[in-house]
Amino acid sequence: MSQFRLQGRGRVDASRPVTFTFDGKSYTGQKGDTVASALLSHGVHLMGRSFKYHRPRGPMTAGSEEPNALIGTRRGPGRFEPNTRATVQEIWDGLETTSQNKYPSIKFDLGAVNDFAYMAFSAGFYYKTFMWPRSFWDKVYEPFIRAAAGLGVAPAEVDPDTYASRYLHCDLLIVGAGPAGIAAAKEAAGKGIDVVLVDENSEMGGTLLSEPQAEIDGVPAWSWLEKELAALKAAGVKLMTRTTAIGYYHENMIGMVEKLTDHLPTLPQDTPRERMWRVRSKQVILAQGALEKPLVFHGNDRPGVMLSGSAQTYLNRYGVKVGNRPAVMTSHDSAWHTAFDLVDAGAMVQAIVDTRKEVPSALIEGAKARNIPIKLNHTITATSGRLRISSIRVNPTEGDQVGSGKWIKCDALLMSGGWTPSIHLFSHTKGKLAWDDDLTTFLPDQTPENCAIAGASRGLWGVKNALDDGAKRAAEIMSQLGQTVSAGEYAAEYTVQNDRSGSGVSMKELPTDRSASRAKAFVDYQNDVTAKDLRLAVREGMRSIEHVKRYTTNGMATDQGKMSNINGLNIASDALGKRQPEVGLTTFRPPYTPTTFGAFAGYHRGDHFEITRKTQIDSWAEQNGAAFEPVGQWRRAWYFPQEGEDMHAAVKRECAATRESVGIFDASTLGKIEVVGPDAVEFMNRVYTNPWTKLGVGKCRYGLLLGDDGYIRDDGVIARIEPERFHITTTTGGAARVLNMMEDYLQTEWPELNVWLTSTTEQYSTVALNGPNAAKVLAPLVEGIELSESAFPHMSCVNVTVAGLPARLWRVSFTGEIGFEINVAAPYGRQLWERLIEAGKPYNITPYGTETMHVLRAEKGYIIVGQDTDGTVTPYDCGMGWAIGKKKPDFVGKRGLDRPDLTAANRKQLVGLLTEDKTCLEEGAQIVFDPHHPIPMKMVGHVTSSYDEGTCGQPIALALVEGGHSKVGETVYIPMPDRTIAAKITSTIFIDPENNRLKI
Amino acid sequence: MLLIPCPYCAETLPEVEFAYAGEAHVVRPSDPSLMSDEEWENYLFIRTNAKGTHFERWRHIHGCGRFFNVVRDTVSDKIYMAYKAGEPKPKIDALLEKQR
Amino acid sequence: MSKHISSLMPAVLAKSPNMCVHIMPLIGRISLRIRQEIDKFDDALGIELPRQIGARSSKDDIEALCLGPDEWTLLMPIEKLSTVQNTLAGLYASLPHSMTEVTGREITFAIEGEQAETLLSIGCPRDIRTIKIGQARRTLFDGATVVIWCDAHNKYRMDVWNSFAPFVAQTLETGVGELAAELTQS
Repeated sequence: MSQFRLQGRGRVDASRPVTFTFDGKSYTGQKGDTVASALLSHGVHLMGRSFKYHRPRGPMTAGSEEPNALIGTRRGPGRFEPNTRATVQEIWDGLETTSQNKYPSIKFDLGAVNDFAYMAFSAGFYYKTFMWPRSFWDKVYEPFIRAAAGLGVAPAEVDPDTYASRYLHCDLLIVGAGPAGIAAAKEAAGKGIDVVLVDENSEMGGTLLSEPQAEIDGVPAWSWLEKELAALKAAGVKLMTRTTAIGYYHENMIGMVEKLTDHLPTLPQDTPRERMWRVRSKQVILAQGALEKPLVFHGNDRPGVMLSGSAQTYLNRYGVKVGNRPAVMTSHDSAWHTAFDLVDAGAMVQAIVDTRKEVPSALIEGAKARNIPIKLNHTITATSGRLRISSIRVNPTEGDQVGSGKWIKCDALLMSGGWTPSIHLFSHTKGKLAWDDDLTTFLPDQTPENCAIAGASRGLWGVKNALDDGAKRAAEIMSQLGQTVSAGEYAAEYTVQNDRSGSGVSMKELPTDRSASRAKAFVDYQNDVTAKDLRLAVREGMRSIEHVKRYTTNGMATDQGKMSNINGLNIASDALGKRQPEVGLTTFRPPYTPTTFGAFAGYHRGDHFEITRKTQIDSWAEQNGAAFEPVGQWRRAWYFPQEGEDMHAAVKRECAATRESVGIFDASTLGKIEVVGPDAVEFMNRVYTNPWTKLGVGKCRYGLLLGDDGYIRDDGVIARIEPERFHITTTTGGAARVLNMMEDYLQTEWPELNVWLTSTTEQYSTVALNGPNAAKVLAPLVEGIELSESAFPHMSCVNVTVAGLPARLWRVSFTGEIGFEINVAAPYGRQLWERLIEAGKPYNITPYGTETMHVLRAEKGYIIVGQDTDGTVTPYDCGMGWAIGKKKPDFVGKRGLDRPDLTAANRKQLVGLLTEDKTCLEEGAQIVFDPHHPIPMKMVGHVTSSYDEGTCGQPIALALVEGGHSKVGETVYIPMPDRTIAAKITSTIFIDPENNRLKI
Repeated sequence: MLLIPCPYCAETLPEVEFAYAGEAHVVRPSDPSLMSDEEWENYLFIRTNAKGTHFERWRHIHGCGRFFNVVRDTVSDKIYMAYKAGEPKPKIDALLEKQR
Repeated sequence: MSKHISSLMPAVLAKSPNMCVHIMPLIGRISLRIRQEIDKFDDALGIELPRQIGARSSKDDIEALCLGPDEWTLLMPIEKLSTVQNTLAGLYASLPHSMTEVTGREITFAIEGEQAETLLSIGCPRDIRTIKIGQARRTLFDGATVVIWCDAHNKYRMDVWNSFAPFVAQTLETGVGELAAELTQS
């Protein structure tokens, strides 16, 4: 039995011992313990080293606000997490934990040298120290800072856990299951509304778990708790423990993270480690309670120094005495009760030191009855003890005068500077705060959300106040939710015995007889910010609390200033000579407590990282060894390598096979839009640059789509299926955008047009056959038309049967070869594909991917929107003036094309490039006219497409070059890191400019 | 995450079902060819960039597919109302009064 | 992700003691767009097209869903497609509208079992309970546009475009496993 454990006390289960390790040493705790409570039961206070000075530190709290006791937790390979709060992590058999920020060991740490160099590390030291010499930055300062910075060690392995997410809609969400939250839930339960009660702890009850002495309506607190939670569950209230509300977003959306497995010795199958809940609640009650404030004095961070309320929690909830001979330092009544509880549990309290002159007589009597020495009107000026507090120096005060000190031996120091309402989530709502002079703190005031605050989180101390306020807030909300009973009739009032609502005063630094410049009185424990740092920041000109915060890093650690903000504000206000509300509070932002990346990612990791769209032919490509590339949301077959081939070889073979015989390509990803209605032609005329009126049924035309700014947005071949039905194709990545743009014009600018748009992208699987033998492969499978030049010329379309499937057959080409695109109902795509592969065997039919498609089209000078254009390119820049219906009165982009900038001379124009040394250019490479021009050279364009796998006998490139169209035949230069490449400007068409190859 | 009322679906739904579509009541001229460069620039590029009440367009892209207009306060993100495309700009003073 | 889904291969996708998700077979689908004189289409089709977004109606073996102010989806057996198409084609001259066949466009997942509503809540941001029995809505599931049909308590169908189906199926599979584990632990 450990020395500090009180048998039979607390809520831990003595019959279930749990063994875990800390820094390699094995410890036994009890089921229900946290790492902190279990270590404290063995007298271990030293749990970590601080961030900046590497000072030894122990737990300051018993909850999620803990700034000091941050540990690494491990559960076998891959499952390591740094910066876990020891005060929250539940123990289980086999848990491995380690302290952080220490080398070589937690008891002897070399980094603690920083502590002796304290003077040099004061506020703003980064800004001051590392300014000079400038050359030291890269070599000395930055590596040093990088090595020293950060808390804990980032895990290096892939996380094998899974994470989940879920949406939840309810009528009333209550955050915090202390007395206020439970009373609120009780009020709302069973009245036909959905109520959810959440708490970040492993069990509900909040402060009641630490105050078993209270009696509620005649029932001891823990019995009351058990009874009420059972009743809530029976009434259908959703009770969620280990669930932290991390953020409060617009319109009552609350993000919550539920920890599902971190407390379990064995991981259940199919169970995520954490789940992100996205909750939308009609009404929210925030009942998050209050956080105790530390007192600010020299040596207030030594292991063994702890908040008194936390010591009470360790005692009453976990059955652990945090010391046998503790002392108490306080400015608030509540710490006296901790002292009383500890004495009653067998500890010898060495003294209660209170900054106040007067305290309630009941407390004095309670202390006297327990023989506790009382020191009113005293301060504390120092502590001693290397790895654990061993004594405190206590001085009497009179006004500003501090008398001579006297050392008192102790093995723990329990302090209380009063309580701060937990207003973090309220602040997320953009809620306004109001300063309360009596409580010396900010209280929640107005919020734009449907949100109420109950209990201690609005400054109401004590169990009865919390219960009554919770019930009252819930009753008010019930009436807002349309319940018929009026608020007054609802709210229950509670009778509470042994309640401990107290009062106190709020302090800045405690008065001291030490030189202020030598005091290490910590305000922000996690970031090692002292009172001296804050005053220095003000002296050095910081006036806004936001600047003080950033200069000192006060409140900027992962605990977000839960313990430091108000103390920091009190000190900064004092230094500025202003009242606190005039100085103001920095903003709390989500998440409330540190949250894993896993919780945010949820299901979206690994092969489920993002939406991946696949065609119905994708399975064939996968089975046949295709390499894939992402195109927009799609994954597309990139190339089909054969045994021993790299990408270059595969693409070269695919290109040659298509030009020589026949290639087959999955074009299903092309966007497709069906335009139907009496005004279909008029609509087409208005959105595309081209004229459509005279396009015959059964004919196709290349269409160019601009924005009203005149720049190219999209392109594609469009077929007129019926007089009033067009089948548009768009680029793969542009499909959704183009439909959205068309719907926009149709719905909002031209609602008078009688025409409708339907996305048919996924109605069809589209297979493209290209090559001199394409017609020969296809013809035997086609019923209904003869694939001849006369019966079915280039740019025709027809509804026929292909391989027994109803099909929209198009004669189009994106390669410069004889080409067909066969559209069949999507699910039959693979069937069609396989029939074509079979039929093409005698012709060495070759499946090709997007890379070969890119090469073949570039050889023919066909642009790819988004590659050869970048949103600032006009049709004229691309040499595509032929696509403009100049006689049309208007189309989207027509006026834009007349903008002065778009008609200016010397615009960048699309040209071909052939390198003189036959090397392949890099896409994106910059182009200059004069390679001898001093640097910086004038850049006159860039390479947009470049390939060396093609069939032209040498690499080809497309480029945008200033005034390029008038410079054909001239040489430009492409400076590269190792050399400058010369290239000749050519036409964009590298093969078959007469289009002879398109003819059957 | 906002909740947006769709005037066509008559439901108030999560923002993720919608796509933002820029300022409302910017009407494409019926004959752009008659516009001066300056007028055209104004139509294409110049927006009010309001701090406070803003008339803006949203599309219920993962729902009924309709474009519609919303009155939103760009500071508080409060949405005062939504109305169908083509309907006149609501009188905002009366609206704000009603909200209070 | 090597999952592939086809409506030509209806199959059970994921199953647990209290949940089943399966891929439904191909069904005839028409996207119908009408702006006015809807009642004339009611008469011609022999089914009253629902007038409210999200509402459904059915008659014999045709099912109609109103998806937008001028948009309906008609479901019917494949054999019936040409009859309906011919009927609509006959109306076109006097009552212009848009009829587009989208039979091949979508995969339908049947989602049934006592945790069906919860399963949908892992990916759908809207309150599933607002889709009443006998209604349907276009919405999102795990980022993909879907149409969710509520046929009975905890009995849903979810239409999704083919290409999104493998991704959505993976989410559903994960969810079924997760929910089954949840039930055994509680």
